[in-house]
Amino acid sequence: MDSHLTSDRVDMDDNETTTKFIVNGREYSLKIDNRYTLLDILRDHLRLTGAKKGCDLGECGACTVLLDGKVVNSCQILAARIKDKDIRTVEGLSQSETLHPLQLAFIENDGGQCGYCTPGFIMAAYPLFESEEELSTEEIKLSLAGNLCRCNAYGSIIDSVAYALEIKTNE
Amino acid sequence: MSEQSTHTPAVGTSYVRTDLEGKVLGTAEYTADIALPNMLHARVLRSPHPHANILGIEIGSATKLDGVFDVLTPFNVPEGKVAPDVPILDSRVRFVGDEVAVVAAVDIDQAKAAIDLIDVCYEVLPFSTNVHDSLNSASFPIHSEGNLVNGGPLIETRGSIKEGFDQADYVVEDSFTTPDHHPASLEPRAALASWDGTRLTVWKPSRGIHADKNILASALGLSPNNIAVVGPAMGAGYGSKDETRTSVMAALLSIRTGRPVKLELDREEEFLAGRRRHSTYTEIKMGLKKDGTITAVHAKTIMDTGAYLSSGPGVVRRAGQGILYLYKCANVKYEGQLVYTNTPTAGSYRALGAPQGHFALESLSDKASEILNMDPLEFRFKNHVGPEGQPGERTTPRNQIIDTQPVEGGVPFSSNELRQCLKLGAEAIGWDRRDYIENAAGPIRRGIGMSMFIYRGGPGGQSNAEISLDQDGLFTLNVGFMDVGEGSSTVVIQMAADTLGIPPAMVRINGGHTDKTPESPMTAGSTLTFSAGHAAMQAAKDLKDAIINASLKLIGLGDSEGLYLTPNGVKSKCGESISFLDIVHNAGPIKTLASVTPGSKDYIVNSFGAHFAEIEVDTETGHIEIIKYIAVHDSGRIINPRLAEGQVRGGVSQMMGFTFLEDMEIDPHSGVALNASFLEHKSPTIMEYPEIEVIFADSIDPIGPFGAKSLGEPPCIAPAPTIANALYHATGVRINDLPLTPDSVLLAMKNLL
Repeated sequence: MDSHLTSDRVDMDDNETTTKFIVNGREYSLKIDNRYTLLDILRDHLRLTGAKKGCDLGECGACTVLLDGKVVNSCQILAARIKDKDIRTVEGLSQSETLHPLQLAFIENDGGQCGYCTPGFIMAAYPLFESEEELSTEEIKLSLAGNLCRCNAYGSIIDSVAYALEIKTNE
Repeated sequence: MSEQSTHTPAVGTSYVRTDLEGKVLGTAEYTADIALPNMLHARVLRSPHPHANILGIEIGSATKLDGVFDVLTPFNVPEGKVAPDVPILDSRVRFVGDEVAVVAAVDIDQAKAAIDLIDVCYEVLPFSTNVHDSLNSASFPIHSEGNLVNGGPLIETRGSIKEGFDQADYVVEDSFTTPDHHPASLEPRAALASWDGTRLTVWKPSRGIHADKNILASALGLSPNNIAVVGPAMGAGYGSKDETRTSVMAALLSIRTGRPVKLELDREEEFLAGRRRHSTYTEIKMGLKKDGTITAVHAKTIMDTGAYLSSGPGVVRRAGQGILYLYKCANVKYEGQLVYTNTPTAGSYRALGAPQGHFALESLSDKASEILNMDPLEFRFKNHVGPEGQPGERTTPRNQIIDTQPVEGGVPFSSNELRQCLKLGAEAIGWDRRDYIENAAGPIRRGIGMSMFIYRGGPGGQSNAEISLDQDGLFTLNVGFMDVGEGSSTVVIQMAADTLGIPPAMVRINGGHTDKTPESPMTAGSTLTFSAGHAAMQAAKDLKDAIINASLKLIGLGDSEGLYLTPNGVKSKCGESISFLDIVHNAGPIKTLASVTPGSKDYIVNSFGAHFAEIEVDTETGHIEIIKYIAVHDSGRIINPRLAEGQVRGGVSQMMGFTFLEDMEIDPHSGVALNASFLEHKSPTIMEYPEIEVIFADSIDPIGPFGAKSLGEPPCIAPAPTIANALYHATGVRINDLPLTPDSVLLAMKNLL
């Protein structure tokens, strides 16, 4: 069904490169197939399954992670692009037993229903939390517009992010 | 009893959703997140034809490919069935995307490569992509019984519509259509199966692990005792995520290869091989007296079930519920036809037919009020069904449980606060100013609309719950139902905790595994809070008695009277106490199992509500902006206000897709779905999310657990007619065909001129 994805198979070995990168502060050096995406590397090779495969086409945002601090759809990042990059996933937000304020805010405001989009939304909101600027609700929404929530828990997601930003300001 | 209330009740508080921590940490495990050693990956070959016989399949090259372990085809699978009209694989394919063959290989790339090597010989058959073509007598039958399911419509009737229309001063009628609306849950279907030589374990997104176990057993010819179904976290389904071949194909591949097999559908496959909301064509007619009394309602609905039956018969019935029961009327008739087409299968999707039926009914009610020169809200106040139910004679024998979607009159509701919903909503939206809205110069027109609904839900099938006091002095609720993201685990814990008299934090929930939980019905039809709630309450009540009896002996008191539970243990009125830890250390863990058949022999248990919206229509672009949206619900006592509000806000927003955007488009010439992706099947994003105010009517149902009724699906029923009625008020344009896209608004306005 996915003729745009399948291609004539070539010998895997020709496409493998040893790539160094950092995920959640930990350095990796892996021999990986260049055609693999960051999402596949995270999920299948590193067993970090917080980023989800909702579409594999960059349309839903469930696989959102940070690449050198920038929000990306990890399903659209080919292996070649992660060389020497610093990647952060939802698993890298909490410090041992302590949840990140964004994670706490999502719990406090019931920011997830089925939860499949939740890691993606939290990672998409992360730069907002790090930003020094004061953000309006409209700006929060714009920053999260690339992430779908089919439960449509958008109201609670907006509440969660706004709450986290407010807590930070008041600290 | 007040002296015994040593803890604050959890029911009625916004206790935090119990499974949210894992979801925000990214550690909550969904089916696709699970990997087993030596696991194979499966991939499906899907039909490129909307209708064809498979004459032969050449799999030789595929099986010879390195790393390929097995290929299933219609010619090498057992004869079992996944559903009555769905064999494991079939030599007839009925829509573009139907399953043809499945490969298991060492990795997904190899499985895809093998798929490309399979050669299928098809005999292409005539096909139809819409119900009107399918019903044409010359049309090629999609199933042996013909294209009209059961050969005729489902007919439900009360009184005589002939008499009703004879009494009418006016008759108002119209026809309405609703789109193929896809739930498109963010998690595509997936299944992981592992056969150990004697026993099969299947992990899958599930809304009914026990039902899934029975489906697998029947399809594969295994004893249910040899199957365990595990339901990991579920990336939602809104009712749609069952009745497909996915888990059966993974299971069969595992049995044949002796290796664990995982099958993950991609996004396009989820659109095609998942389940969508039935598109409908409805003709509806209402008889009215000059004073506004409704004398008759008659509706005929044709529903497109697609290639397979799925839950169609239930859905077609439910599309008639509003027509048959929302308005007080002695003479009603509903005829529902379910029709096969060569398109992706329709099935269960949140509120099952009720949104389609109510769109027609509630749009027509506004037309009726206009003919009567009556305010639409006043028309509803005058005619809505009241607590006493419908006129007529009860036909259900006295000793039988009343159906939650009745036709008969003469049966009262257990509770019905529809009138209160109308009042609260009218106040919140400011209905009084509706006749005086002044539009400024320019293209923007403002309008206010409303609609109301009735929905079954509440009592479901027989439900079981087990609860125990464990070695660690805490409690475990053992339940076979699935929390599919709506928060049912949390509310059931709240109800069990209050029954015991302990904080909810002392109650864990154990679910999601058929070996470890008592049988439970599916999470379906908004019945879980009511049914599982009753079972959990009964088990908790029995456990409380058992704990008190055990402690009686341990404390050495002769009388259980005056003993009660506190967060620390059992106490007596006189001050003696024993901790839960001491009880279990001396008496061992204590466990109770309760089984309940929810329902009432005297009352109909239904939920109600009314939605109101104020919108602005840009008459130059056709864009509709929601300024204010009010959703008022009678769902009985609200167990957890924050979760309940989230359900309503989410349901309303989800249906903004149905109202404004979503329609799976099938090319009539090829049967190909033209928009099987998130990019092309547009769904509401956070940018479209309107401000939604949720109001719960003051209502405590005398039959529901802690007074609760149903809530999961009801928010989805009223949004479309509410917006369509507001659009008419704003512009004078009535659109009978969803979705209300900008071009349909512009076209309708052009036609008006």
